[in-house]
Amino acid sequence: MAVTPAGIRPTQRPGVGRLLRSPMLDPVWAVLVALACGAIVLLLTGHDPILAYREWIERAILRPRGIQETIVRATPLLFAGAAVLLALRAGVWNIGIDGQVLAGALVAAVVASGLVHQPKVVMWVGAAVAGIIAGAVWAAIPALLRGRFGINEIVTSIMFNYIAVSMTAWLVKGWLGDPDVVLPQTRLIPVDHRLVTFGETRVHIGLIVAVILVVVLGAFFSRTVAGYEIKAIGASPRAAAHGQIPVDVSITVILIGSGAIAGLAGVNDVLSTKGAFQAEWNPAYGFVAFALVFLGQRSIIGLIPAALVFGQLSYAADVMPRAADVAPAFFDVIEGALMIALAVSVWARSASSGRIRFGSRGGGGDV
Amino acid sequence: MNVELVITTLLATALLSAVPLALASVGEALGERAGLLNLGTEGMMLLGAFSGFWVALKSGSLGLGLLTGAVIGLVCGLAFGLIAVVVGADQVLLGLGFTLAGGGLTAFLFRESFGSRQPLLAESMGRPFRGVADAVPIVGQAILGQAWFFYLAWIIVAGAALGLKYTTFGLRIRAVGDAPDAVDTLGISVRATRVYAAMCAGTLAGLAGASLSIVEVGFFQPNVTHGIGFIAIALAMLGRWNPTRIALMAILFGMLRGLGSGLQLADVPVQSDFVQLLPYIGVVIALVVTSRGISLPAALGVTWTRRK
Repeated sequence: MAVTPAGIRPTQRPGVGRLLRSPMLDPVWAVLVALACGAIVLLLTGHDPILAYREWIERAILRPRGIQETIVRATPLLFAGAAVLLALRAGVWNIGIDGQVLAGALVAAVVASGLVHQPKVVMWVGAAVAGIIAGAVWAAIPALLRGRFGINEIVTSIMFNYIAVSMTAWLVKGWLGDPDVVLPQTRLIPVDHRLVTFGETRVHIGLIVAVILVVVLGAFFSRTVAGYEIKAIGASPRAAAHGQIPVDVSITVILIGSGAIAGLAGVNDVLSTKGAFQAEWNPAYGFVAFALVFLGQRSIIGLIPAALVFGQLSYAADVMPRAADVAPAFFDVIEGALMIALAVSVWARSASSGRIRFGSRGGGGDV
Repeated sequence: MNVELVITTLLATALLSAVPLALASVGEALGERAGLLNLGTEGMMLLGAFSGFWVALKSGSLGLGLLTGAVIGLVCGLAFGLIAVVVGADQVLLGLGFTLAGGGLTAFLFRESFGSRQPLLAESMGRPFRGVADAVPIVGQAILGQAWFFYLAWIIVAGAALGLKYTTFGLRIRAVGDAPDAVDTLGISVRATRVYAAMCAGTLAGLAGASLSIVEVGFFQPNVTHGIGFIAIALAMLGRWNPTRIALMAILFGMLRGLGSGLQLADVPVQSDFVQLLPYIGVVIALVVTSRGISLPAALGVTWTRRK
């Protein structure tokens, strides 16, 4: 022990124990806990977890195909994660992502099939704009209900998710469906009209758009007054109201903006991997997007590695039934366990800055 | 079309469809009264539905299945309560995690147990008042012709209503949700009361799931609840956390839920995708109509720590 003069503390040495407990490693611990939970489930159901995990690594992670597919599936999740994060920065939970994705996807599919004889770029931009508007409109209903009547957006947006599933199915089975095919789906976009891919891979330019969006979002929060105001609302609605920020209007606009970004996730899928909107298709990006945002420690840049983690889980769910006879639902267990582990870890404790608001129409909101 | 038969069938399916809604929603209300927002109700219902169905199928005893669902729900509620109250985790994220994990685990275990088979419960539940049901026209079969659990479920709901209003424990639950600091000054543990409330909520959610799979449909399939857990959360708010009002709301929404199958049973042609929309749209409309002036439990969603 070094002898230190009174009043002067020795500088803290970086020990291994301290490093392992640093908040930076919380996401790593959460992933390990989730994988351990998964291993226990496998063990209890008579699988060999070591064998299954080895197959997973070999077939879904190490092969070039696995890396490609991880990126392809991470792309819509990046949009969805950005949508969640935008709202969460203002302290608002947009749980209506699923419905907004479906609305964006259906409208984009219909517009794209209408513009199929136009130049490709016209079709893509037209479909994207339509999808953005559709996602925004779908988010606008719960957003306006919150802004106008003070009805908590968590419950209404979940209701709108279920409404979207049934309503899109109903529309596609009816007058939006392609009458020439048996399956209830919109008119298929020809493969040469889908989003351009990089060389022979399946990775497409949607990824570039998603990354640009993340960069723009980062700049928005760090460089603009509006971004600062959103963070101020998230930190304390009451203080923000005192600072002349119109809290109710801002929250409504933020939810609509969040829905617009979520709509892009639907556009991305329709224009690339799906090619059409099929009745009852529901990728359910919503809950996953929350887990993703918290895995990225609610930082903008953290969205990208977190999206890759969930992109990989999505691909693994496709590969593992054949590779190791593990049903796709196993990866929902991993994702759920990951979400609970993230909720437990330290920095999630301060996640929702305020108390949950139902009924009462609070001008500044209560914290 | 036999109008009398249509009315009887619709009423019977409405009352039966209301049971899981009422149980889960009253449970959610108990939790929310104590300050806990449990968005994991859907997942806990699925775990109760699967475990209850599995035990009922293997043992042949429907009662044992329902009990299993309730016990699994109790364990889930305990876990949720401990993580939310003692660790202080964010309740929204935690609840969504429970829903995701519960849905995934039950789908996974269902496939592990039954592969692509879809087993049905062979036995149907005893109907204690069936003999006298025909004596009362139209409503007789709907009210008196139900399985025994139907009556037990409404007794549980009534018990919860009375317990919350008249017992010390009920008072404590209401108090920790509105004024935890005041409760603490009286030397009553805020945390323990909240964990107990979470256990009640979990038990009722698990029982609600088991009643869905065992009593109402007689089978399990992945995501069989299809959002009932979330509707239950909305009903708790619509019924203003009062079990009696919630029970009435549950019957109203049970009617919307049961409309599709009720009309099908009565041979009325319907567009199924459209009928499925009704409960969800109904919740939104009801919220718009009744939302003004709802004052929610003051400490809902806030982790309590003693002020220094």
